[in-house]
Amino acid sequence: MSEPIICARDVCFQYDDADHPAVDHVTLDVMKGEFLAILGRNGSGKSTFAKLLNALLLATSGTIEVDGLRATNEEDCFAVREVCGMVFQNPDNQIVATIVEEDCAFGLENLGVEPAEIRRRVDETLRAVGMEKYAETSPSMLSGGQKQRVAVAGVLAMKPKVIVFDESTAMLDPVGRRDVMNLARKLNREEGITIVWITHFMDEAVLADRVVVMDAGKIALQGTPREVFIRTKEIRALGLDVPGMMQLSAELRAAGLAGLSATTMTVEEMAEELCRLKSRI
Amino acid sequence: MPIEVKNLTHVYMADTPFESRALNEVSLRIEDGEFVGIIGHTGSGKSTLISHLNALEKSAPGMVWVNGVDLGEKDVDLAKVRRTVGLVFQYPEYQLFEETVAKDIAFGPHNLKLPEEEVQRRVRNAMQQVGLDAKYAERSPFELSGGQKRRVAIAGVLAMEPSILILDEPAAGLDPVGRRDMLDLIASIHDRGVTVVMVSHSMDDVGQLCDRLFVLNHGTIAFSGRPEEVFVHGDELREIGLDVPECTKLADLLRKKGFDMPEGVYRMEDVRNAILEQLGKGGERTC
Repeated sequence: MSEPIICARDVCFQYDDADHPAVDHVTLDVMKGEFLAILGRNGSGKSTFAKLLNALLLATSGTIEVDGLRATNEEDCFAVREVCGMVFQNPDNQIVATIVEEDCAFGLENLGVEPAEIRRRVDETLRAVGMEKYAETSPSMLSGGQKQRVAVAGVLAMKPKVIVFDESTAMLDPVGRRDVMNLARKLNREEGITIVWITHFMDEAVLADRVVVMDAGKIALQGTPREVFIRTKEIRALGLDVPGMMQLSAELRAAGLAGLSATTMTVEEMAEELCRLKSRI
Repeated sequence: MPIEVKNLTHVYMADTPFESRALNEVSLRIEDGEFVGIIGHTGSGKSTLISHLNALEKSAPGMVWVNGVDLGEKDVDLAKVRRTVGLVFQYPEYQLFEETVAKDIAFGPHNLKLPEEEVQRRVRNAMQQVGLDAKYAERSPFELSGGQKRRVAIAGVLAMEPSILILDEPAAGLDPVGRRDMLDLIASIHDRGVTVVMVSHSMDDVGQLCDRLFVLNHGTIAFSGRPEEVFVHGDELREIGLDVPECTKLADLLRKKGFDMPEGVYRMEDVRNAILEQLGKGGERTC
């Protein structure tokens, strides 16, 4: 995680009909192999920023380099999209073919990859997302979580170095959410793919290496999940929540359990802490 | 009068290779003034079920009644059914189409051929109920934020003055504050005496708001009851693609580690109090 794969410098973006910028002088490095979560209220600019990363939008000013390519140059935009894939909120908007494996092959066919190589990569990526059994199924017969995994496979087949997930779990049921999150973490750990994870769910953000909070197009806070969420007042003022377990920890400490850590974020950590306290009674 | 569903079965694409049974012998009853949650994995039949409750999908006679009216009867007054049962779809903001917020909300009442003063009264009333300031009336709905747009869409349904309101994932895609505001709004609509049926993927949300839950799995009702009766079944819920609220998960884990925690507990304050009791801090509580 030593060198950056994404370097955003003083990036601004303003929509044609808007009177203020959606992204306002953002400077941010994303490290190779990092799992970065971006939080922020609706309209804070996080999805716009995501679209700048793979040149779906071109920055009004400033520069973005992704793996050495200029995401702010029109000439580089196709190359950038090969390096930096994107998974959107609604898989129905991303799936184009009528058969799962054809959908997965779509990007590769457009690149003119050899048929034998396409076959190999499609099989490999469908296995990686756990959808190999559904290779010949119509996407319309799949659940939301399964469709989202197919969407990830379509991106993965392009062998990207970075995948941006833009609220990709917002429409899913609890298991679909968990499956897609676990898949992203697996790709991050095992394949070394850099993940930019945009979400409204605090319990997903606590699993990231680093959290960036955006507000009014700017970076308002950043740090490890613990460093960010401990700043309860600021987090709330930014329209976000602290993770449920952190809130509970604050209430328990206020009620006299002084030995409890203020940065307890997951259910497992909380259970462990409480057992430790209980054993001392 | 209540909603009653008896042995409702719904088959999509019957007699084709794609035949799928979305609902299988579902029976349930929802009383006036209740706040009911419907939970289930994607494809469990939730949307099919709620479509039957305002006759968007029609059953055979003798399966679905609203206020004593059999929605399967041939001569049922569909317009009246849909006035009584308001249905707010997922992401309803995509349905907005008018030039101004007021016109969009007035669309339904106008179709009822109500006098203009009555339409305007309903528009004002609905905007007030969803917490939209009157200054938004003449704005374009497309200039509003996501949460505000969704309020406009809900106001459009409320302007029909339904006695039953069904919402499909009303908080999906909203940020934490928007989510809380939306849930508060729905609770306030329920407080005014409207029967509310809410479909949700968030166990925390349904636990917080609902009197009773129905859990759908592959078109049948797997569990039903008060939240604490449903959330006792943590393992089974996870098996069918669902979950329990986060604090229920903590209570379950602590119980396994020897804490004495109540079964099915799902409110953060109850979990907190049980923990304090166990750690001998029960007496020092300030609240």
